[in-house]
Amino acid sequence: MAAAESRVAKLASKLYDACADNHDPDTLLYQHDLIDLGVLPSDDIALLLQCTQSLVDQKLFRLHQGQGRIGWKLIPREDAEKLQSLNADEALVYNVIHSTGRSGVWVRAIQQRTNLHKSILDRALKSLDNRNYIKSIHNVKYPSRRMYMLSGLVPYEDVSGGAWFTDGVLDANFINSLAGFIEYTVSRKSWYEVPATDRGRSAKRVKTATGKAEVNGEPPTKTYLPYPSNYKGYPTVKAITDAVNSSGITPVQLFEDRIMQLLDMLCFDKKLVALDNGQCYKSVKNPEAIKAAQSRKPPVEGVEPEPLLGRNGMTESPCGPCPNFKLCSPGAAISPETCEYFDPWIEQVLGF
Amino acid sequence: MSQYAAELCTLLVEDNFGELCARIFSTLQRHERLSFPRLKFHSGLTDRQLRHGLVAMIQQHLIYHFTSFQDGITYYEANPQAAYYLVRSGKILQLVEDRLGEYAARVMEFIIYLGHTSVRQLESLPELKTIEGEEPELPNGVTHEGDDENLEGAEEEGREVRQTNGAENEDHYLQTNGDHIPEAKPAPFHATLKALASHGYILEVKEAHFQSPDDRLLDAKREVSGKSDIKTLKGKKQEESINVEAQKLVSKRTKSDLSEKYLVNGLPRGAKRKFGSAHGPKDDSHASHNRIIGDHADDKDNEWSDDEDGFDNIPMDARLIVRVNYSKLDVALRNVRFLQLAEQDAPPATAEVYETFLRRTEYTTTHCRDSVEIPREGEENPLYSNPVEVMKIVQDLDPELDLSGAFGPVSPPKSVNHRGKRPLENGINGDADDESDDEGDSNSQFKRMNQVNQHLSLLSQAPHKLITPSRNDGVKWVVDFRSLACKLRHLELERMIESRYGDVALRVVRVLHAKGKLDEKRLGEISLLPIKDLRQTLASMQKGGFVDLQEVPKDSQRQPSKTIYLWYYDPDRVCSSILEDTYRAMSRTLQRIKFEREKRKDFLEKTERSDVKGNEEHYLTEQELALLQRWKDIEALLLTEVSRLDDMVAVFRDY
Repeated sequence: MAAAESRVAKLASKLYDACADNHDPDTLLYQHDLIDLGVLPSDDIALLLQCTQSLVDQKLFRLHQGQGRIGWKLIPREDAEKLQSLNADEALVYNVIHSTGRSGVWVRAIQQRTNLHKSILDRALKSLDNRNYIKSIHNVKYPSRRMYMLSGLVPYEDVSGGAWFTDGVLDANFINSLAGFIEYTVSRKSWYEVPATDRGRSAKRVKTATGKAEVNGEPPTKTYLPYPSNYKGYPTVKAITDAVNSSGITPVQLFEDRIMQLLDMLCFDKKLVALDNGQCYKSVKNPEAIKAAQSRKPPVEGVEPEPLLGRNGMTESPCGPCPNFKLCSPGAAISPETCEYFDPWIEQVLGF
Repeated sequence: MSQYAAELCTLLVEDNFGELCARIFSTLQRHERLSFPRLKFHSGLTDRQLRHGLVAMIQQHLIYHFTSFQDGITYYEANPQAAYYLVRSGKILQLVEDRLGEYAARVMEFIIYLGHTSVRQLESLPELKTIEGEEPELPNGVTHEGDDENLEGAEEEGREVRQTNGAENEDHYLQTNGDHIPEAKPAPFHATLKALASHGYILEVKEAHFQSPDDRLLDAKREVSGKSDIKTLKGKKQEESINVEAQKLVSKRTKSDLSEKYLVNGLPRGAKRKFGSAHGPKDDSHASHNRIIGDHADDKDNEWSDDEDGFDNIPMDARLIVRVNYSKLDVALRNVRFLQLAEQDAPPATAEVYETFLRRTEYTTTHCRDSVEIPREGEENPLYSNPVEVMKIVQDLDPELDLSGAFGPVSPPKSVNHRGKRPLENGINGDADDESDDEGDSNSQFKRMNQVNQHLSLLSQAPHKLITPSRNDGVKWVVDFRSLACKLRHLELERMIESRYGDVALRVVRVLHAKGKLDEKRLGEISLLPIKDLRQTLASMQKGGFVDLQEVPKDSQRQPSKTIYLWYYDPDRVCSSILEDTYRAMSRTLQRIKFEREKRKDFLEKTERSDVKGNEEHYLTEQELALLQRWKDIEALLLTEVSRLDDMVAVFRDY
């Protein structure tokens, strides 16, 4: 009996090695695949069954059921060691989590599938988590659900929300810094920087020919000119993507569709304009102005930042932001005569 | 006519012409069309008061009147447009002064002041006889019976306080003007009036102008349907031909354009004058240049005398009755706004080219849009200016204006070290051949055309697309008025949204406007905003009436959980509500002025006393002078605010 067992074990390990050599680790192996390997002395189905059973027990094979037949998949030896160290409940949970792959699985779904008691399940999850076999993830669609997946895997984009999400929340800082970088990069290509040597020579001309920001002509400020209309050097989406990926400000590789999303956002912010149906992009402001705008960022409490679009009558007038504007009429409780906003406004504007 | 617009118009009439007129005006607004006895009944005024007020207001075109042939009864009707334009008079005078000089503005001022007037009467005014005459004394603002310089004067003052740019321009202009004309001499009255007429700023008053548009049309229909050839037609055909004929008759009766008569080669008289004044303040080098090159300066001096030699010696028909042409002035004021858009991004030389271009289009554009109602977005027909050839612009441009050096090279710059080695290759001139010899080539017409074309193509680019190449060929350009007017509207709305809800809201609104109706999730994906911020912004904007929510239930139960909620942004709706708010804010500001005046009534009455007025320094203590100054500042500030609000009304309603 013992001899038979050891023979089976030996055969099984041979079978495993043969499988590992001849097949991809991810392929599903059926009975005939194993027999075709020629490891077994004869087409002894019973022996094959014994071997596979022993491999399954050793956690080197994982059992699958597909198309009405039984099939197996290989488990790498290191994973098998992991699995062998688990107790039955933990193994059960591990298998469920493993089966969901990169989409992760909700705790309640594990409970349904394993039929374990909640406390047992929690204990198993905790122990798996502690041993770093699984990890907890955030799903963007269901932020409140506790979900798990194997620690070695990266969640799908629809689970993680894509590149813009960190831990399931939109990473505004990341987006803003990336957007700032893109705007600056595009701007460098959309405005012609007058070389320093030229600037001195043509100082007078430059004065009449450039935007208001640079008119003062002090040495440190750079002078920028727009390109003529037939200029072809405006950066394309591809060029921008390459620039972003090579800049090292993103931890992950970003693809063109992601960058497109960001470029669209910048267009809606009227920082960039799309040319030729979105083939390439041009920045509205020159690099110097962008730098100034970005460095100005930290908002001081109590001081209203100057609006980017300028003001108009309604934003200046005390009536514009007045919360009771709709109630105001002469002779009423709120009236232009009793208005408490006019006097401070007059004081402020006239500077008394 | 909305409640708030009516309130505002009454206030404006009261401010300019006193309580009597305001009472009649508001009665007519409330009851619409009234005959004299009914008007008397509703207003509770005496015959004498009524007749007095009506005559004054008809003179100002504030009231339409129409005598029916059938019953012989005269009906009166308020003209709210004319009442509203009272607030714009300051802006109009400023514009005329910038374009045609201080004297023209003074002539214009009297035309506005008199409502409509004959050339003979204008000519006989002592204030318009000489060119050097002092500005008429502005009253301090207590009396508001029948003086509208009050409003205008203060408004101009206010503009100086606020828009330092404008003030600078003006100062400079006055200065140069003073240089050229040191002593008093007879004013070029007819030349100026012709210049105003040829620019289209004034029009000839016809009898039909005193009738409301509806009366005009009905009257014309009545007359047309009496014709024998129309009578022979029947049914629908008859109706159609009556409409067509009546329209023709109306336009014949209101045909009042004076500009065509006085255009010289498609250019209005006196138009050239702008070179001297418009360029001077902007760039000192140009001004000094002008002085150095003798003949150019002479040119400028002789501008008027040239005219006087020939055509302008013939005075205008003394019986001609003129008034202000508001629709043309709206076109001119709208061009000023377009120019401001250009100045934001484009280099000054390009803006100058654009200004010249717009000036050309202005001569051939008589009104801002075809429809009377405020058009709905995307539903209006495009309206283009007449195409303008590049050559014409080259002719109009100041020959001293430096057009080169505004552009980078066509090919992207090489790497840094390369540039360092050969700096000349990447010179700032547009083309390599531009580089060769600036001064020598500058008079070459062809090159200049190329340069102008380059500037124009820069203007035609995104984001504003200020001009469009004409479809026929590449040498003509047009302005797409409707889409630009729409851009102005959006800009005003976006300014309000930014100031109220921040830049996040701006992005959301633009996304919604570009994509239509969106649910929250998709909106968040496109605008890349955290859902929490997004919800807050949307909620506060919905409260403010800027965005709206549409529910689309999936089943007939209309359960909230089974309903899709779509956000959308309807600029038309927002515009109309903001327009009402703007009217309202203007009314409140005007009422506040009244209140402030009331607060200082006793003191201001003292300053208005006939002995004190004009001798304030002499009679008032220092303290009182300071008080007076402060009052003037406050009034100017508030009136400026009204005029700024009027800018918005113009964008939403008139452009």
